[in-house]
Amino acid sequence: MVFLFNIFYQLGDSLAFLLLAAIGLAVIFGMMKIINLAHGEFITVGAYGTVVSGKVLNLPLPIAMAFGVLVTVIFGLILEKFIIRYLYGRPLDSVVATWGISLIVSQSFLVIFGPSYEGLQTPMGNFQLGEFSYSEYRIFLIFFALFLLSLLYYLFMKTSFGTLARATIENPSISSSMGVDVKSVYTATFAIGAGLAGVTGALYAPTMTIVPSIGQAFIVSAFITVVTAGASPFVGLVPAAAFLGTVQTSVTFFYKSTIGLIAILCAVILIIRYLPNGFSGLILKTRSK
Amino acid sequence: MINTNYKKNKLQIITFIILGALPLFMDSYYLDNISYFMCWTFISLGLAVIWGMGGILSFGQTAFFGLAGYGFSVISINFLGVAGVSLWSIVLALILTGIFGLIVGYFLFYGGIYDVFVGIVTLAITLVLETFMQQTAGPEYAIGTARLNGFNGMQGMPTIGFESIPFGLVEGVTQYYFILILSLITLIGLYKFKSSKMGLIFLASKEDRERVSSLGHNVQKIQLIAFTIASILAGISGILYTNWGGYITPDSMGLVSAALPVVYVAASGKKDFFSVFIGCIFFVWLSQTLAINGKQFAIIVMGLILVIATRFFPDGIILMLKNKLISKVKWLQS
Repeated sequence: MVFLFNIFYQLGDSLAFLLLAAIGLAVIFGMMKIINLAHGEFITVGAYGTVVSGKVLNLPLPIAMAFGVLVTVIFGLILEKFIIRYLYGRPLDSVVATWGISLIVSQSFLVIFGPSYEGLQTPMGNFQLGEFSYSEYRIFLIFFALFLLSLLYYLFMKTSFGTLARATIENPSISSSMGVDVKSVYTATFAIGAGLAGVTGALYAPTMTIVPSIGQAFIVSAFITVVTAGASPFVGLVPAAAFLGTVQTSVTFFYKSTIGLIAILCAVILIIRYLPNGFSGLILKTRSK
Repeated sequence: MINTNYKKNKLQIITFIILGALPLFMDSYYLDNISYFMCWTFISLGLAVIWGMGGILSFGQTAFFGLAGYGFSVISINFLGVAGVSLWSIVLALILTGIFGLIVGYFLFYGGIYDVFVGIVTLAITLVLETFMQQTAGPEYAIGTARLNGFNGMQGMPTIGFESIPFGLVEGVTQYYFILILSLITLIGLYKFKSSKMGLIFLASKEDRERVSSLGHNVQKIQLIAFTIASILAGISGILYTNWGGYITPDSMGLVSAALPVVYVAASGKKDFFSVFIGCIFFVWLSQTLAINGKQFAIIVMGLILVIATRFFPDGIILMLKNKLISKVKWLQS
């Protein structure tokens, strides 16, 4: 029983990490096709926004987190207006520009805040099960990640804004001739993606050491999860994260964590080869049958 | 067939004459530095072939760079003392890299992986190699007498060259000329490839893969050949880098290293080999100079340059400057 719970806890933790790492990128890369190498830095901005406001202004944690997300949204809006806007439809050039952004941001944080910043305490407590102790906050993260994803699914698949955004990104010129303000739709969608990355940063800020490279821990996981999710990221994200999480947890359990990383990278390579549309392609195909 | 590349080659001839004369004025410290900058031109030129010509963005160049570096080290350390070991281990390492490139390329192009997914798969391959090499610190990770040494990387490989001949070793001035001549040969070869029938089909496949394919050309085969050429060029960089510094580490296959060639090529002008060659030297020099003088602001400046380059000069800064220079100076046009 305890053993089983232990496995579920590890799996859930890994699932939450992959989901939260990928959620902002699912919008920016999955939908908008911007290869955002600065995704990790968006998360960094969210984390620093939370920690700095929490420490300096003495805000309670949930408000500090909201502040961190707000900062990231503003940061994303500024970037979109001055740089990203000119990169739509040039996915390969977006690599270079966002790489530049990522260098600027992480180094600026190093210059401003120094090599590490005093972190916040992990909220909520621990509970005991058998001889093991578990963090309640980590359990909360699993459910929050799933909640956030269903919210995102609802926003982009069920509301009129979501339909508009998907249609506009699918074909900007037709949408434009139908009277859609293409620029604003792109800006709003990008801001949502940035904000979600900020949420990830805010949520993980109390659990990690606050260093300028904090976001880099997420970037590889984020890309592989979004790619595994496939063409329709909001449908495929949960099965993709569940699959990769299972592979990683089980391999790490038997060998060591570096081999776990190698295993999920290999899994991704095979998935792209044999399931080019990812898990969402598989789901949509079986659903249409 | 009109080849515009040869029409504008006065500038290139002058550049190479200047580069060839540099050892007459420069002391060995600066010369060694320029050799180091030129080490990186091959991996970038390889990327210019597959990305600039064929529109295939690959982060795998870095994997081939590392593989050749490690391959060269393992082979040459194992056969230390055997006559000419440093030379034929280059050939073996490049063959190894080429075969690996062929396998990866076959997997990609015959498996129907395209566009952004090529980037992701090649990045994953690079990271797998890096992660694997990082955890090889223990004594159980050794090939023959060569320990892989995990994070610390490998050392102790012999210098390339003939030990019995004066100036036979590839170091100092000899190294400079060795790399310079090699890059000249590479550039000429690449221009030949670009204007060959195969090169033109490859160029066309960037615009519309399916149309070229339905005209009866075997696009996949040509993509595979170009990818393999690029992997061998990256391997040359890896071996020259290993020879220059006398070491190779897993860091040379990391996320940062994987992005660097992409950055150099994009900021220089990915459609023009000569611009990539000059731009690569320039940007490696720039990042080194900034790192020495600018301290912590160096990386910020580098980032700003990249953002500005893609925002305002989508075809590349160096290519734009080259075209400006040629349009201003009449003499260069003929």
